[in-house]
Amino acid sequence: MKEYSQDLSSLMDNELGDKEVINTILDDTVLQKQFSRYQLIGDVLRDESNGLDLRMDITDNVMAAIANEKQDDYVAPLAAAPEKSNVVPFMKRFGQYAIAASVAGVVVVSSLMVNQGSSTDPSVAPVLNTVPFGGAAAPVSLQATPLQSENEIKERNERVEALLKDHQLQLQTQP
Amino acid sequence: MKHRLFLVACMSLLSLLASSQLIASPEVAQSEVKIETKSALPSALTYLNNMKQAYRELNYKLLYLNTAQNQIEPKQLIHGVVDGKSVAYFYFLNGAMRESLQFDGKISFYQQGSQAYSLATNRDQSVFANIANFNFENGNKSYEYIILGRDRIAGKKAIAIRMISKDQYRYSYIVWLDLESYLPLRLDIINQSNQILEQTMVVSLNISETINPWIQQLSVQATPDVLHLPLTAIAEVPKWHLDWLPPSFKIVKDDQHKLMMHDTDPVSYIMLNDGIVRVSVYISTKQTKLIEQKNVIRRGGTLIYTKQDENVEINVIGEIPLITAEKIAASIKPSK
Repeated sequence: MKEYSQDLSSLMDNELGDKEVINTILDDTVLQKQFSRYQLIGDVLRDESNGLDLRMDITDNVMAAIANEKQDDYVAPLAAAPEKSNVVPFMKRFGQYAIAASVAGVVVVSSLMVNQGSSTDPSVAPVLNTVPFGGAAAPVSLQATPLQSENEIKERNERVEALLKDHQLQLQTQP
Repeated sequence: MKHRLFLVACMSLLSLLASSQLIASPEVAQSEVKIETKSALPSALTYLNNMKQAYRELNYKLLYLNTAQNQIEPKQLIHGVVDGKSVAYFYFLNGAMRESLQFDGKISFYQQGSQAYSLATNRDQSVFANIANFNFENGNKSYEYIILGRDRIAGKKAIAIRMISKDQYRYSYIVWLDLESYLPLRLDIINQSNQILEQTMVVSLNISETINPWIQQLSVQATPDVLHLPLTAIAEVPKWHLDWLPPSFKIVKDDQHKLMMHDTDPVSYIMLNDGIVRVSVYISTKQTKLIEQKNVIRRGGTLIYTKQDENVEINVIGEIPLITAEKIAASIKPSK
């Protein structure tokens, strides 16, 4: 092995005359790889590697590693490939549809109107401001207007949120 | 004390001057138009049509801010053209990764932690698309176009054009265009009292000769499954129709479906469109308890109006003034 290293460098320098040694090198893949590495090192040292592939030859290793690796179920979103049918039964995954709304910037309404009934606490300011028409809160008479219970407010929030999300979804698929 | 009063007066005068530059009253704007035409500059309509073409045909990257009700959201749009087809890649710059890619009749949505999917669509869904794809020639029935003057946005020389609604049923807009590329740089939605309801402002604009390599790459990648929105059998839900439509609005969707998040809840659905604004009308028998004063929710230009009578709840959602929503809701009648 070592003796051939010397021959290799001679070969690189065009100083190797021994045909037999050249043939040996040509037959030996290990030596061939070593030769290409030497060439590469030479190129780099001489700064002639411009744009040359400096990754050595790791392709084989990587390919082997990929082949051995257990296929991961998670596929990076942007690389997700369509599977089987192109049409997916919708109801199974309607929860997914929230993304269209959130990409469109619909802010989740829940948790906001709960604050509305109680006095306004600036530290828990709602994410989405619900401003009654006219800008200010309407005067509330204690006798005339019953306050909504927390459950009713929650139900109402969910309803508004569902409507907003559906609205966004319909906008995205407008003909 | 006198000094202070004087200062206050000065300040308010200054702010008046500043605001009049942004939102000039129609009278002021009219006179500016005359000046513009005298020097034989392109008309507002020409500028708007140039914007339409630029928005569709150029390769560009926009960083912009969306402001509605004190909330600011930074976003990015990269647009390119591959074989004559637009590719639009959009994402939120802050918070969770939320992105979408629109290309070739499909829009795909991606969000951290959720499975991605696509929807079939042929309409450009990107930020300025509603304005940029408007048919300005036909639109002059609803809007008047007026050049407000020059300004500077995102370091570019811009021209501001106001689209004034000719009736009270829609909002007005001011759009700022880059004088070099004609791309939109800012868009304000304003109500009748000249308040800005929502604002989209570009802070960085990059135009390139060739398509951005990243979206070029995205355009050849496989997209996630296309999902189709299911409809409910017509027999399940009674049909409704509108007796009144705001001027130049048309019905573009009329169906029965279940709300996407509440699959037990069928609604009758009607969508109206005037070329810029889309309005959703939901009619259902389900009612949630609601205090009368809280039947209007606003966020930026978007309004959610709820009307309940007898056994029916009507919800109107869209970028429209309250009066329009009220009139639409009042005009809903059962179909025979």
